[in-house]
Amino acid sequence: MYPLSFSIAHALPETILAVGALLLILVGAIRGEKSAPLVAELAIGLLTLALVVIFIGAKTTATVFDGAFIDDQFARYMKALVLIGSIVTLILSRDFLRRENIDQFEFPVLVMLSTLGMLMLTSANSLISLYLGLELMSLALYVVASFHRDNLKASEAGLKYFVLGALSSGMLLYGASLIYGYAGSVSFPGIAAALKSGPAIGVVFGLVFLLAGLAFKMSTVPFHMWTPDVYEGAPTPVTAFFASAPKMAAVAITLRTVMVAFPNITHEWRQIVMFISVASMALGSFAAIGQTNIKRLMAYSSIGHMGFALVGLAAANAAGVEGVAIYLAIYLVTTLGVFAAIVAMRVQGRSVENISDLAGLSRTDGWMAFFMAMLMFSLAGIPPMAGFFAKYYAFLAAVQAGLTPLAVIGVLLSTVAAFYYLRIVKVMYFDEAAPAFDRAPFAVRAVCAVATALVFCFWVYPAPIVEAATNAARAFF
Amino acid sequence: MPGFLEQYLALVIFAALSAVIAIALLVAPFLLAYKSPDTEKLSAYECGFEAFDDARMKFDIRFYLVSLLFIIFDLEVAFLFPWAVAFHDVGWLGFWSMMVFLGVLTIGFVYEWKKGALEWD
Amino acid sequence: MYQSIVFLPLLGFLIAGFSGNRLGARATEIITTGLLFVSGVLSWAVFADIGLGHGQASAPILSNWITSGGLRVDWALRIDSLTAVMLVVVTSVSSLVHLYSIGYMHEDPSRPRFFGYLSLFTFAMLMLVTADNLVQMFFGWEGVGLASYLLIGFWYEKPSACAAAIKAFVVNRVGDFGFALGIFLVFVLTGSVSFDAIFAAAPGLAHKSVSVFGFEWDAWTITCLLLFMGAMGKSAQFLLHTWLPDAMEGPTPVSALIHAATMVTAGVFMVARLSPLFELSPVAQGFVVVIGATTAIFAATVGLVQNDIKRVIAYSTCSQLGYMFVALGVGGYAIGIFHLFTHAFFKALLFLGAGSVIHAMHHEQDMRNMGGLRKDIPFTFWMMTIGTLALTGFPFTAGYYSKDAIIESAYAAGAHSSAATYGFLMTLLAAGLTSFYSWRLVFMTFFGSRHVTADEHGHAANDDHAHDDHGHGGHTPHESPLVMLIPLATLALGALFAGLAFSGDFIGHRFDEFWKGTVAENHIMHAMHEIPGYVGYLPTVLMIVGFLVALWFYILAPGTADRLARANPVLYRFLLNKWYFDELYDVLFVRPAFWLGRLFWKGGDGRVIDGLGPDGVSARVIDIARGAARLQTGYLYHYAFAMLIGVAAFITWYLLGGVR
Repeated sequence: MYPLSFSIAHALPETILAVGALLLILVGAIRGEKSAPLVAELAIGLLTLALVVIFIGAKTTATVFDGAFIDDQFARYMKALVLIGSIVTLILSRDFLRRENIDQFEFPVLVMLSTLGMLMLTSANSLISLYLGLELMSLALYVVASFHRDNLKASEAGLKYFVLGALSSGMLLYGASLIYGYAGSVSFPGIAAALKSGPAIGVVFGLVFLLAGLAFKMSTVPFHMWTPDVYEGAPTPVTAFFASAPKMAAVAITLRTVMVAFPNITHEWRQIVMFISVASMALGSFAAIGQTNIKRLMAYSSIGHMGFALVGLAAANAAGVEGVAIYLAIYLVTTLGVFAAIVAMRVQGRSVENISDLAGLSRTDGWMAFFMAMLMFSLAGIPPMAGFFAKYYAFLAAVQAGLTPLAVIGVLLSTVAAFYYLRIVKVMYFDEAAPAFDRAPFAVRAVCAVATALVFCFWVYPAPIVEAATNAARAFF
Repeated sequence: MPGFLEQYLALVIFAALSAVIAIALLVAPFLLAYKSPDTEKLSAYECGFEAFDDARMKFDIRFYLVSLLFIIFDLEVAFLFPWAVAFHDVGWLGFWSMMVFLGVLTIGFVYEWKKGALEWD
Repeated sequence: MYQSIVFLPLLGFLIAGFSGNRLGARATEIITTGLLFVSGVLSWAVFADIGLGHGQASAPILSNWITSGGLRVDWALRIDSLTAVMLVVVTSVSSLVHLYSIGYMHEDPSRPRFFGYLSLFTFAMLMLVTADNLVQMFFGWEGVGLASYLLIGFWYEKPSACAAAIKAFVVNRVGDFGFALGIFLVFVLTGSVSFDAIFAAAPGLAHKSVSVFGFEWDAWTITCLLLFMGAMGKSAQFLLHTWLPDAMEGPTPVSALIHAATMVTAGVFMVARLSPLFELSPVAQGFVVVIGATTAIFAATVGLVQNDIKRVIAYSTCSQLGYMFVALGVGGYAIGIFHLFTHAFFKALLFLGAGSVIHAMHHEQDMRNMGGLRKDIPFTFWMMTIGTLALTGFPFTAGYYSKDAIIESAYAAGAHSSAATYGFLMTLLAAGLTSFYSWRLVFMTFFGSRHVTADEHGHAANDDHAHDDHGHGGHTPHESPLVMLIPLATLALGALFAGLAFSGDFIGHRFDEFWKGTVAENHIMHAMHEIPGYVGYLPTVLMIVGFLVALWFYILAPGTADRLARANPVLYRFLLNKWYFDELYDVLFVRPAFWLGRLFWKGGDGRVIDGLGPDGVSARVIDIARGAARLQTGYLYHYAFAMLIGVAAFITWYLLGGVR
């Protein structure tokens, strides 16, 4: 039994967010609506503080709160990604929410609370804490999805997400109960120990339900159906948030669950992961082709990318975990950059979301078009963009694990996906110019530029990410 | 076996007495009471809504709000009872945990108050 | 000196090509023409030194080109008597044509390009004739082919010019294919492509055989036939001649330079250069004679009825090239080259004269629309007459010496070879026909009355380049400028006196001193002098007969020709349509090729490769994309249903498949 201070020290980022969120609610409640900018800035500050704590904090592995919470390299790596996603979301949302007239102080608080849930999820080491983190994350997400409550689409998006999220939570809980019933433990190491002698059908059923719940959060096929509608309906910065931070947390906990709790039945869960992976890659690649709304397109894109990331997970080895970690980092940066560009899509103060609105962007705003093009190349996985290396690491792991067919399918489907990414480049560079966009705020352009620079320069100096990912993978092996 | 059943004799008597009283109370009004029925009196509930109507009707969101807020504090109390009973065993950690919990709830209460959620109009 | 002869035209081309538009047309003309004249003067000096004097033949190596295994190809300039002759021919005609073009092309907006092409052609031709090995010769061979293509299609706005250019190029490919195979075979046989090495090794390999398609062939026969195939293409010999008349779509100076005097004689030069090889194969020699004789008579018959002034001369060229091959085939290599030499002068003269006529007639080429031009353009008339005299072999003109020598040598060789007898008869007959169609041309153009007063009809029929507003007012025929007449006069001198002056060197008593062994020698030069005397007069007699018939048909009794044509419509049409060769090739090669191409394009590429490949795949992708998008109905219960189905499917999978 560790002293409480030790536990708190290892959960310091979470503590900061929890206390900070409560304080910000007070600030907002007492100072009223005009406090929104202040709360947002404070929220960004607190999230950044949490990020700094992760970077300079302890580098040891510790299991605290009676084994419910684990702080290891993998958790820290993923938490850093989650926090980056949240911070950038808040940066992007500032201007957007003000223009859409939904600039309320609850938004940054909800993002913080959701982020808190993600951090807990990332560090969850038992089914209970998993569920706790998941719900904290989700409940806040339901609200932010429909944050633009006077907007019909946003309301619909929030409601759909809520109802389906409830269904998935139910499945997850059902699966957790089954696993607990058969394994006799809720802690991941306990479950692993109980399964040493091999799989029981009940546990496998439980695993199916559990993974269904988690796959819903990752938005992978066939639990992805909410994604396009919610991405389209939610305000763009919220969509950016959906596409970034929660994905990191969901993949992280999925990875931790199967790696820590079910290492003895790899053969079983790998079948599910492989199916989900292939189905997601396929749907993400094909369904996006017909889209005209860029947010919807990005929804399918994210589905596809989760499928690619899961290729690494299916490998179930150190290289696979490393591949997933690298993939997620690169995906995060690229996606945030793209959404920054989408946030910048405003014509005469009105937000536009159609791909055709991007037409001729190269002539009206050369830099944005360039950023967008580079990011699209990265998403398509064209060397030397970072996206290529992301896929490379994931597929490499699969090949090393003897899953060459999976890698081949992935490569083939990525060529299909390349079509719609390149189409956007084509629209921007070769089509007749649509009305020019308003000049985006500096912060949004900066996010876009930094993301482009990162995906562009990854091949020059990949060591920091690769090393961190290697260390993260070492947490399980 | 009879001995086993004997243990439930009291329960049977209890159930029987309850049944008798309940039936008596139900039947008595039919025999004794003065009747002047109207549609409202004959409808199933009298909570302000039509009993047989489209479920997708609009009604005031404040009903929900009040009930939701009620549930939160209801659960708070439900959580406080076992804590109070086990107060000696949970120690200082348990005490401060509950204080934190109450603090969080209080912040929520402040928020809803400030937001005007408690005002009916 | 040798280098400057070859590379000055290249310099001219580079200047004209890269900065012609900046320098302006006038400067380009002066530069390229000036360089050519320098080159020409140097060539005559070389000719005097190597040919007429006692200069030593040499082949200085400029640099190594290819070294690969046993193959070694050098850039070298081989200068000997044969090359010296060709140098003189090429640079003289080329420089005169350059000069002439200044006048002829003066209305054309893209003169720098024209002069650049001309110089490029000259350079390539000089590379060809100075080649010291087969590969360099092939380089020049292809270079002149390229320049020819570019110049035929010079007026690329004209569809007919483009078609003619493509035709010339494609037909030449057929010949070049044989040439290339011949080079390969030579390399296989001798292990070298250098002339000296080949000639040294050749006699030792006589009677060696190679196996082709399961048959044993005499090695040198098959080699020479393949090489001769190249010559047939380049020199427009029978079966591969179809491109030459169409090539008249190019500007007239081009016709004079490339399609009369120089490039088309490359085949003759090649056979002469490789004469030691042909000497080893009587079969190949016989083949050369037959092809040459057939071409001579064939082209002459077609020339009889053509109405386009340039086409008549083109067929004449074709015919005269046939003469040259007859001479080569019977072993009279020097005679063939001599005819090449004299022919260059009078044929260039005829073409440039025709160009002058066309220029005077404002780009009217149909002889039926001409007539009576004698008085309007007297100088041109006299020049054309001189050219015609030389071509028909009027005594003591250039053609008299060379053409009669060919006929005599064919007769002499006929003692041992039936092919040579065929050659003799055909060339003799062709001499009469030549006389007829040449005089027909003169009579139709310069005598009689004006059939059509250079009117709008003639004008509109020629969708030619810009000449509508050159302010000649009234469209009366007018004599050409001096810059065009000087080349005519110069060439006329050559046409009159080249035979007289050089027959002693080329085929006469100074034969050995002149050639110094650069062409294979045999008995034919001596046998030629021992033929019966009447044979020597036969060509002249036939020439006179031809002249008289033409005189009768077109001057004394005009209309006779038309009556004759109406009397023999089949024959007339047969000749007018050039023995239906174009139609035959169209059916035999062009259509099947198009059919095959379309089959591969529409069926193979379009339906199979695209259908199963890009198009098919993309169509399927779109289908799948539509299907996938349709799954997204927007209904909440569908979404929930999908999730439940997914879970149910996984559960079923494990239930049916069991756990491990």
